[in-house]
Amino acid sequence: MINVKNLKKSFGNNEVLKDISVDVAPQEVVVVIGPSGSGKSTFIRCLNMLENINGGHVMIDGKDLTDKKTNINEVRTDVGMVFQHFNLFPHKTILENITLAPINVRGMKKAEAEEKARVLLAKVGLAEKASAYPESLSGGQKQRVAIARALAMEPKVMLFDEPTSALDPEMVGEVLEVMKQLARDGMTMIVVTHEMGFAREVGDRVIFMDNGYIVEQNEPKALFDAPQHERTKAFLSKVL
Amino acid sequence: MDFRFDIVTDYMPFFLRGMGITIGVSLAGVLIGLILGLIIALGKMSSNKWIRLPFNIYINIFRGTPLLVQLLIIHFGIVPMFMSPSNPLVSLVIGLSLNSAAYIAEIFRAGIQSIDKGQMEAARSLGMTRVQAMKLVILPQAVKRVIPPLGNEFIVLLKESSLGSVLAAPELMYWGRAAAGQYIRVWEPYITVALIYLVLTLSLTYLMNYVERRLSTDDQR
Repeated sequence: MINVKNLKKSFGNNEVLKDISVDVAPQEVVVVIGPSGSGKSTFIRCLNMLENINGGHVMIDGKDLTDKKTNINEVRTDVGMVFQHFNLFPHKTILENITLAPINVRGMKKAEAEEKARVLLAKVGLAEKASAYPESLSGGQKQRVAIARALAMEPKVMLFDEPTSALDPEMVGEVLEVMKQLARDGMTMIVVTHEMGFAREVGDRVIFMDNGYIVEQNEPKALFDAPQHERTKAFLSKVL
Repeated sequence: MDFRFDIVTDYMPFFLRGMGITIGVSLAGVLIGLILGLIIALGKMSSNKWIRLPFNIYINIFRGTPLLVQLLIIHFGIVPMFMSPSNPLVSLVIGLSLNSAAYIAEIFRAGIQSIDKGQMEAARSLGMTRVQAMKLVILPQAVKRVIPPLGNEFIVLLKESSLGSVLAAPELMYWGRAAAGQYIRVWEPYITVALIYLVLTLSLTYLMNYVERRLSTDDQR
């Protein structure tokens, strides 16, 4: 589903991603962990070209993003993204937030898009908030709407960039619950997170990144219980 | 000092007609300025520096030179190339439009850039093109933020339209100067004209406050 080969990314002279290669199979849930500044957010943002790629290749469902002939907008319709700070559209109702892209990008009829949006809202437990504005929602509710908004495009892959890092602790659970359900439904997911419990429980594979490299990757149990590298051990000893 | 109200009443029909023209040219200047300003603002935000360059030059020239000089060049230099004799109202509208476009462009740019960049990223990540994201997500939010500075610009424009009197465009100030010249009086015509400008700008202030309030209550639905 996703094939990353020798991905490199710099901001000015600061090389953030040095040589990243990773393949993600359909329906796989990959969790990316690592200290801040390790490049994990930049890595996930490269997967839908929110960051320009300086070297290497990123293939999504067979399409090479670095190929100039690839229509990036088309690829992005297949790649849902959930941000740390939700980024809901404050001037639109919850329902409009979800239907905006299906109507304007997919060319879906308004009635059909709204019907689908209501189904998705019910799925994330917010059916009664359809006509509310983002402002009136709690952080956890906003993030669940953001997930519904991404799902409305019927993506093949979902990217989560620290989806619970900006939430009050008591709201983390409701968002993770939605993500777990999504994983059970067979969605291909890449999740950057500090929630080690989620990584252990839901992840098929955990990638530990540090300093622009993938240091180690393994099944959650193996990686958490028997890390091979010193840096992984040092990191895990601090967060677990 | 005696105040001759008869001068005011004699000239009132002209003052009122001048006021109508002042409102007309200001409105035309604002509308054209808004359209040009938006185009210039978007051009100035291009990621290509060669596209940015002409828009930067435009803004620097029109903000960096006096409107009076611009009006004289336009009226006596540029417009005569296309129409003869050149019509001062046409020149005035062109001058006001081009000048306000430069200021309005900077207002729009500041408004657009004040929107959190996560909004653009969210829109693009949903597959929207840059243009769609601008139109559906960024601009509707930016509009609300540019209303107060735009109100200022409209008031400035309305007052600066008085420079049209130098081109003999028959707006409000032109009739003030005409009355002053005919009666060799200062207070009556200029105070009257000043009061009419004040009524116009205060009405505009009130109108902009109303629009601002309406938009901000929209948020609290």
